[in-house]
Amino acid sequence: MSVMQNKSEISKWYLPGIFTGLGITMKHLVKNLFNRKDMITLNYPEEKYDYSPRFKGNHVLTVKKDGSLRCTACMLCATNCPAECIKIIASEHEDPAVEKFPIAYEIDILRCVFCGFCEEACPVDAIRMGPEWQTPGLAQSQFIYDINHLAYRPTLKGGVLTHVDDEERHKAGI
Amino acid sequence: MPKCTINGKEIEVKAGTTIIEAFYGGNERIAHYCWHPGLSVAGVCRLCMVQVEGNPKLQIACNTVITEGMKINNVSEEVKDSVKWGLDFHLINHPLDCPICDQAGECGLQDQYMEFGKYNPEMAEKKVKKHKVVDLGPTVVLDTERCILCSRCVRFTTEVSKTDELGIFNRGDRSEIGTHAGKPLDNKYSLNTVDICPVGALTSKDFRFRQRVWYLKDSDTICTGCSTGCNVKVYYNKEGLFRVKPVYNEKVNGHWMCDEGRDMYKWVNRESRLATGLKRENGALTMAAPGALVKELSATLKKYSPEEIGLVLTGQYTVEEYDTLIGTFASEFKTKNIFHWVNNKESFEAFDGILLRGDKNPNTKGLLKVLDKHGVQALWSDLEKKLAEKKIKVLIVAGPENGFVFPDVDQKLKLFAGAQQVIWLGSYRYEALDAMTNVSHQIPLKTCVEKEGTFINHDGLEQRFKRATTVVGGALTLTEVALLMAGKPLTIPVVKETFVEMSRRQDQVQLEHRKKNEFNFKRGAL
Ligand code: SF4
Ligand code: SF4
Ligand code: SF4
Ligand code: SF4
Ligand code: FES
Repeated sequence: MSVMQNKSEISKWYLPGIFTGLGITMKHLVKNLFNRKDMITLNYPEEKYDYSPRFKGNHVLTVKKDGSLRCTACMLCATNCPAECIKIIASEHEDPAVEKFPIAYEIDILRCVFCGFCEEACPVDAIRMGPEWQTPGLAQSQFIYDINHLAYRPTLKGGVLTHVDDEERHKAGI
Repeated sequence: MPKCTINGKEIEVKAGTTIIEAFYGGNERIAHYCWHPGLSVAGVCRLCMVQVEGNPKLQIACNTVITEGMKINNVSEEVKDSVKWGLDFHLINHPLDCPICDQAGECGLQDQYMEFGKYNPEMAEKKVKKHKVVDLGPTVVLDTERCILCSRCVRFTTEVSKTDELGIFNRGDRSEIGTHAGKPLDNKYSLNTVDICPVGALTSKDFRFRQRVWYLKDSDTICTGCSTGCNVKVYYNKEGLFRVKPVYNEKVNGHWMCDEGRDMYKWVNRESRLATGLKRENGALTMAAPGALVKELSATLKKYSPEEIGLVLTGQYTVEEYDTLIGTFASEFKTKNIFHWVNNKESFEAFDGILLRGDKNPNTKGLLKVLDKHGVQALWSDLEKKLAEKKIKVLIVAGPENGFVFPDVDQKLKLFAGAQQVIWLGSYRYEALDAMTNVSHQIPLKTCVEKEGTFINHDGLEQRFKRATTVVGGALTLTEVALLMAGKPLTIPVVKETFVEMSRRQDQVQLEHRKKNEFNFKRGAL
């Protein structure tokens, strides 16, 4: 990288520059004082910005009508995930119509790049990316989201219902 | 020898060759499900359509014998069209199960749809629902919806295992594979049906849902379950081994392997392994690096006179390892106290007529050969006598690799308790060793998937195999143990290109997916 230096005489006079800068600051200060509604900055965290509902934030595992997980543990999301941050352990379900389900589903949210590929890969609308994006935590372990968090965290109020219904599908002969 | 033309290429074939065999011989692609090179011809899937010049109709390749001057092709529009709609017909009632189907990724339907199908389904009818998750027996689960009724599994149980458990029941689109009441699919070769099933209708209980196949890498090796030495493929990732499948070798196992051999992954994986070197110091066990432990043993052993040193070997190691170890003991330690631990004397010569042999070691022949070469003739009774007379003070035991086939371990350990000091070399973890106060060292060894070498099978056939993966880092081979014990530096072996068998199994339904999945195979992890 080359660095350009202005070596001319006029560049040694720094005061005009400083005053121009301070002028801009003062202009905004006065503008904001008299017209607080148009202020761009927010008083975070008391005030929050509303993102579009399509914002790809933290993951949600959807549930069926009976409240159980919709996920079939097909691992397509894990295969598609470029950050390799999804870990699933599959098991045999006692109901032969369900057959396969995840006994563990973990997303390492610190590795996730929020690309949404998992959502796109899922064949049964079992994983979605929700509008939630503020997720502080104190220890690293709090950023490994398990089934409990992904499907049943309090903000989801009992879980998000999937739109893929097995019974309807069977009736339609699929 | 009739000559024929296949897709414009002229080839000469043996009299009696069917068209599909000629396609395979000429490396031409052809769609098929029911034909399997190891089974009789059924001709039920009607997918292997070819056009023979001069014949008004298309014919199936698997049941047509080549005659002089036949001009055959399967690339004309007519053939392509018939294969495409044949495939549609197969998939009319097929469930959309791929996401939860264990076969996905190596499925004949998926592969052949991509290669020969690619149609838009035109069936508006509802799918016929059948039984899911049918328990066929102790090893196999059936999904009748996924089955395409190719009858490979039925033919396997009639022709190869000769147990006749499976059959096709009902008629038309309600046909199902099943077992007769009270006679589950339970034979020593049952899992071969899972391998030959071109779809995910038959799945192995052992492997079910444990991994998606695209997360696994594979490597050729030799099954160490018995002295037949079947050629196999092990499937593994960084967590360890997950399953074992047979690889075609005409001279040894044909297309098959037994169910027992498929348990190989269980004793290779970390859970049943001795993971670090253990040393007994003032009665307490301490962990240490295996290499360093063996190095210090070298000095200890030199203190004993040749008559006081004994070596016990099982038939589970490679010829190369035996040669260096026995060579070291014969020339460095000047002892001829080298004994062969035979695990199941009574049934050693047994053979079930298909593959399974009573000698549960892969390399008994090799061990005997090397013992012979070094002129060692010690008998097991000598060991018992010498231990009783306290003539042998230090006993080095190269224990079993496959812990499942040594039922006499407890009894043998009682015998070894008679020695003053026992140095245990082995890969299998025996808790009982921790309690034996005379076992001074436990040194972890590599299993057959972690090293290369040669096994000599019951027939005297030498089979070289290569390393597949590492499960326990730091484990040693017997060759390394021998060099370290002799106080010599370790040499890095020169790796030669060694494949089990260059010819691959001739069954594209099972194996062709591999090339297409190269991306995922390279990624392999997770
Ligand atoms: S959003 Fe992207 S990175 Fe995050 S879990 Fe899904 S696929 Fe992986
Ligand atoms: S979330 Fe969807 S894609 Fe991921 S394992 Fe579950 S069903 Fe498959
Ligand atoms: S058998 Fe093949 S096509 Fe059918 S569900 Fe299984 S993977 Fe999919
Ligand atoms: S279960 Fe598999 S091998 Fe047996 S008939 Fe059905 S598809 Fe063929
Ligand atoms: S009919 Fe020829 S392979 Fe099935």
